[in-house]
Amino acid sequence: MTQETKSVGPIQSAPRRFFRSQKVRQVKGFITQGVVLLISALMGSLVVFALLRLLGGDVAYILLGMEATQEQVNMLRAELGLDRAWFVQYFDWIKGFFTGDLGTSFSGSYEIFDQIGKRLIPTLLLAFGSLFVSIFLALILGTYAALNVDNAKGIATDIVSQIGTAIPAFWAGLILVVVFAVSLGWFPAGGYIPIQEDFWGSLRSIFLPIVALSLGITSVTTRFVRSAMLDVLNEDYIRTAMAKGRTRKRAVIIHGLRNASIPVVTVGALQLGNLLAGTIVIESVFVIPGLGQLLLTAVNGREVIVVQSVVLVILLIILVMNFLLDIAYGLLDPRIRDKRNGTNNG
Amino acid sequence: MVEQVLISKRVRSRTKFSQLPATLIIGGILVGFLFCVAILSFVWTPYDPITLNVRNRYLPIGSEGYLLGTDKFGRDVLTQIIMGARNSLFVSVVSTLISLMIGTLLGLYVAAAGARVKNIVSRAVDVGVAIPGILIAMVLATAIGPGNTAAITAIIIWFIPVSARVVIGPAVQVLSQDYIEAAFGYGRKKWFVLFNHVLPNISSTIIVQASVMFAAAILIEAALSFLGVGAQSPIASWGRTLKEAQPLMEIAPSLMVVPGLAIVFAVLGFNLLGDGLRAYLDPQQTRKR
Repeated sequence: MTQETKSVGPIQSAPRRFFRSQKVRQVKGFITQGVVLLISALMGSLVVFALLRLLGGDVAYILLGMEATQEQVNMLRAELGLDRAWFVQYFDWIKGFFTGDLGTSFSGSYEIFDQIGKRLIPTLLLAFGSLFVSIFLALILGTYAALNVDNAKGIATDIVSQIGTAIPAFWAGLILVVVFAVSLGWFPAGGYIPIQEDFWGSLRSIFLPIVALSLGITSVTTRFVRSAMLDVLNEDYIRTAMAKGRTRKRAVIIHGLRNASIPVVTVGALQLGNLLAGTIVIESVFVIPGLGQLLLTAVNGREVIVVQSVVLVILLIILVMNFLLDIAYGLLDPRIRDKRNGTNNG
Repeated sequence: MVEQVLISKRVRSRTKFSQLPATLIIGGILVGFLFCVAILSFVWTPYDPITLNVRNRYLPIGSEGYLLGTDKFGRDVLTQIIMGARNSLFVSVVSTLISLMIGTLLGLYVAAAGARVKNIVSRAVDVGVAIPGILIAMVLATAIGPGNTAAITAIIIWFIPVSARVVIGPAVQVLSQDYIEAAFGYGRKKWFVLFNHVLPNISSTIIVQASVMFAAAILIEAALSFLGVGAQSPIASWGRTLKEAQPLMEIAPSLMVVPGLAIVFAVLGFNLLGDGLRAYLDPQQTRKR
């Protein structure tokens, strides 16, 4: 759409034909996506770095308080390496980020890189767990709503998904804790058991957080599935399948679901950013030692390097997921790939 | 074209209240109620929101004189909720309106710009949309300290690419119409055409989007103040009320119910209003769905 399609004459030289071929275009598309990924990551890290340095004022002043003398401030600045030029600090940070040496936190209580690595696991477990749960549930609920579009069952599903969209994940988490942990005692009220220590205990400890996180995403995605399925229901191939003797339900489940799932997976996966943001809040509700908790304590302690590193990690996860999704999307649906690459081969 | 407009106007003026989409009515009532409560808070609240009254701590819902009970400091919960509505609306209205304005201008500019600009900005917008608001708020809270300013700024930054993306598509479509070409042929300048011909034609999309953004802003405001990076004491906020109720969940679980319900009804109201407006302003698209 954005690229111009140049008309190709009947006579082409061999190399030219090669560069216009389907495969090369596809690879060129991947490379463009990769470049976009790199530029976005670079820009993101620069913006975060700049925001924290320019708006944040002098970290040393904030850490030492108002009564600090200039000498104390200068000493702390030198100790933390804040007296160097900004680009030296930036490259030092980026180098440390990829070589695994980000130094210790200002408070000196932990190695930043090790902490991030340790806390990445519960956060990813929560985010991807909820992603799969909500896409799975949304496919079922959305199809159900689309099949029952004109009766009470469908309307009930609509109302439930509409309310589910409005419930904040952290409130859902609080209520779940009160009901299932405090009152009924079925699940632990908080904390996280590493999966390598106790598999079932670990699942029990992340069950309620995943339910709380999935609620909103499931509802949003259900509404997408519903509208995608309603589009699919009008397609010719559903009618053909029904003419060949399938029931409407089977036709939809066999042919429709597969076609509707492409946009649905996209929408669901685009929610990954929201899910990662949601884990920050949910970890706070369930006291799970993940990236969110680290970020939150770092924000309150003005741990600039921790904040920018955690933010960059989350940013990279989102960007890489979008990149993979873009590729997968093109592979799944050739029509989109051709449109994007500007080819028009009938 | 003129005839078409006249007909649609005539039809619209005949729409009876009962023919309006149900979602529009319910959403309108919820949102209207929310605004009334927020305005009411400036002139009257049941009790003073800040004064502590230790004697009346932990009164249950429905106590005499305290309709929704009291918290651990003996403050009236209903008062906290009313004051919280004010903060929620303030944050969401300010941030949504500012980001819509910037986003719309950006979107219009990009829609009328050349292919290269369009390509680059669209890609940037796609990336921007994927970045969660809470993350931006965390960075800003570290930089300028937690508070409403950090929350509002974060929501604005978060929403600009969202609103730009909503504008670009329809604007490009409108720009390809014949009457736009006619306007240019008549010698109109680019921004005149954009404001007088394109903007009115995409306004329904923007209005619907605004409603959805209000809802999202209320949700993120609550989340941020729950995390302690949004509104600070003594400003009442639904999220902060929930934060204060969290350690008390075994003593007074009911303290958690009311602020949460307030958030749900506010968000639901704006979401329904958005759906209803979409159905009302753009019936064709809704029927297609």
